[in-house]
Amino acid sequence: MTPNLPLVTISGIGSVSPYGPLAGFIPKGPLEPTIITAWTTAAPRRAFLVAPFRPASVVPGLKTRRLDRLSAWALVASSLALKDAGIDLSQVDRARVAVVFATAFGCVELTEAFYLSAAANGWNGTDPITFPETLASAPASHVSMFHGVRGPNITVSNKYFAGESAMLQAACLLRRGQADLAIVLAGDALARSLYSWYEEANLLSPACYNSDPVLEADGFVPSADFIPSEGVAALVMEASARGEVRPNTRDEARPYARICSGRWAAGGQPAEIIRQMLGSSVPGLTICSGNGAPCATSRTTALAREIAGDAVIILPQAFAQGLAGTGALFHLILGLGGLPSRWPAGGSALFLGTAGESGFAAILLDLPLTDLP
Amino acid sequence: MTGVGVVSPYGIGLDCLQSGMLSGKCCLEFTKDLYPGFEGTTAQVRGLPAEDYNPRYSRTDQLALIAAQDAIANSGYDSSTLREAGIVMASTLGGLTEIDTGIAKDPAAWYRRPGGLLRAASYPFAHVADAVGEHFEIQGPRCAISVACASGAVAIALAANMLLDGTAPMILAGGSDPLCPFTLSGFNSLQALDPNPCTPFDQSRKGLNLGEGAAVLVLETLAGATARNAKVLAVLRGWAMTNDAFHATAPQRDGSGLADCIRLSVEMAEVSGDEIGYVNAHGTGTPLNDVAEANAYETAFRGRTHPIPVSSTKSYFGHCLGAAGALEAAITIMAVRSGTLLPTLRLSTPIESPGVDWLRGDVKRQPLPMAMSASSGFGGSNTVLVFGSGLS
Repeated sequence: MTPNLPLVTISGIGSVSPYGPLAGFIPKGPLEPTIITAWTTAAPRRAFLVAPFRPASVVPGLKTRRLDRLSAWALVASSLALKDAGIDLSQVDRARVAVVFATAFGCVELTEAFYLSAAANGWNGTDPITFPETLASAPASHVSMFHGVRGPNITVSNKYFAGESAMLQAACLLRRGQADLAIVLAGDALARSLYSWYEEANLLSPACYNSDPVLEADGFVPSADFIPSEGVAALVMEASARGEVRPNTRDEARPYARICSGRWAAGGQPAEIIRQMLGSSVPGLTICSGNGAPCATSRTTALAREIAGDAVIILPQAFAQGLAGTGALFHLILGLGGLPSRWPAGGSALFLGTAGESGFAAILLDLPLTDLP
Repeated sequence: MTGVGVVSPYGIGLDCLQSGMLSGKCCLEFTKDLYPGFEGTTAQVRGLPAEDYNPRYSRTDQLALIAAQDAIANSGYDSSTLREAGIVMASTLGGLTEIDTGIAKDPAAWYRRPGGLLRAASYPFAHVADAVGEHFEIQGPRCAISVACASGAVAIALAANMLLDGTAPMILAGGSDPLCPFTLSGFNSLQALDPNPCTPFDQSRKGLNLGEGAAVLVLETLAGATARNAKVLAVLRGWAMTNDAFHATAPQRDGSGLADCIRLSVEMAEVSGDEIGYVNAHGTGTPLNDVAEANAYETAFRGRTHPIPVSSTKSYFGHCLGAAGALEAAITIMAVRSGTLLPTLRLSTPIESPGVDWLRGDVKRQPLPMAMSASSGFGGSNTVLVFGSGLS
């Protein structure tokens, strides 16, 4: 990132996950996969699933009848993040609010439904209401419509680093003055065609087939097996000057972190590029992201040690790894949420993920000088 | 902009596109059986080179690879110097071309067909960026974009942001989308297709035609391009993105979202509305889009000394969805470089809009220091790119 432009503050967190719909941090604790019932499976199959809930019970007045779960979750998560940030959008210039959404598979449930209608009725008999909702950008559009925000509206993806890409694209919009505030979301919904693909490709953890506990007590995964999961995480990001002076209604509201700089690439020399990015900063903590590949976690921790020596490393959680490329926001939320007991307030942290031979995403964060809320 | 690569129903390359469009050739034609029972008007890319592509590349990937190859070739780079480049590629379809309705009934059985797993792996829209990156061994940051029909233009706008932010020294940005039963069926179900060649901005317009293609632009900072003595094809002077926050498929009738977008892009370019010599419009030919767009131009260019010249080049080869914004950026660059303003084909009775000079009839030739490409899409997204000539 270019120096001398405003930093970016993360001021709100919201999520819809197997932990339920939540504003702020996700409570610590183990999470076990549950049995899939949304479609018929030959034998019991498990995944980290979002339990059904009524969106209007979380966000009063929210109508989601014609939406798929991904769009509904995006609406709920964004509303919770705004609430957590203490932002009253009626007091904000909504033309200056951006929405950046990361997804790997888009509205795959309605895409399945559209194919089913074509299979049943022929391509000339498909459902006109379903079609526009199959677009990967539909959830982001609904977020803009529901909140009435008219700034840039972008849907991004990346095989491994979709969430990080969304954070960095949003940071870029804020630093370049193209928005004052950004609602950043990342996530996917698990559908039959997706789960079947993982299964046929032999990517599933044994935990998807049996009910033995697989996680350590604090929820961190020991072996990085891939257990598919679903959910949407949301961050409110603001240009720092704004985020630190505006009145805030959240009790004891403080920024969660500031984004100082970031880099991501499909290859090259990660350690060298990240050191260049860090400059004189010495992160005392690395929060690892993870994309589900069993080798990724060990590679990420090795890179973290190469860069930051003895810095504390927070490993990825299995649930967030199950979101493949869109788990980053959950990794960050879970990582920051794990801080108070693990790390004294203040200092800087490296948010780091790796993929393939030498792909990586690295974001340098400044942590607040007081304990996180 | 130091490289422009295009694959369109005219063939491969910007020269091919330019000569075809300047001659007034329309690529839209009556088409049958793109799926059983389909009859309509489309524009197809025919005769793709039979290169030895990886079998896991979808048609979307292949179109993108051809456009990227063309862009790299005319940028003066070779693949060995592109290792650190970034990639921002847009698509609305991704690998949906490779999937059929059989997947809906029993996905597991479908994946067990020969090549099934591989074909389905191209489904995510991020696959297009990966295909370009892997094929040309490019290792910089990769980002995939899907913002409905504004996708290609959004890719270019975000690439420009990334470039200014120092994310990569140069970026390949663009979009790719092929014809596909999924989208033909979807637009057909919405009754948005004109069965005949479309008539954008005409009072008798009935809808859009779908086309296919890809465009990839090479973006680098002016300082970087100058340092390597690159030929500067055009300069992206301003860009902006807004959202109507209004409706899932319909634009705001008053065009205020697009008008705001135009205002912001002109502000970034630090020019006045009078300095914009041409607008390559989104111009789909649907009743709702075109009237909203006309209203946007009336609002955004109010106070100009002369009506703003506007045309829709979708009248030549249809709406290429996620590629449209990138293809139209390429056409706008072509207009700026050659001083040629393409008319809208088949425009006989334009929407009444006194602030707009609806280009029709013959190609206009005049110096064109600055031009604009406007894109919009389902979900209310608007993106505007302002291009100046390399000398401006």
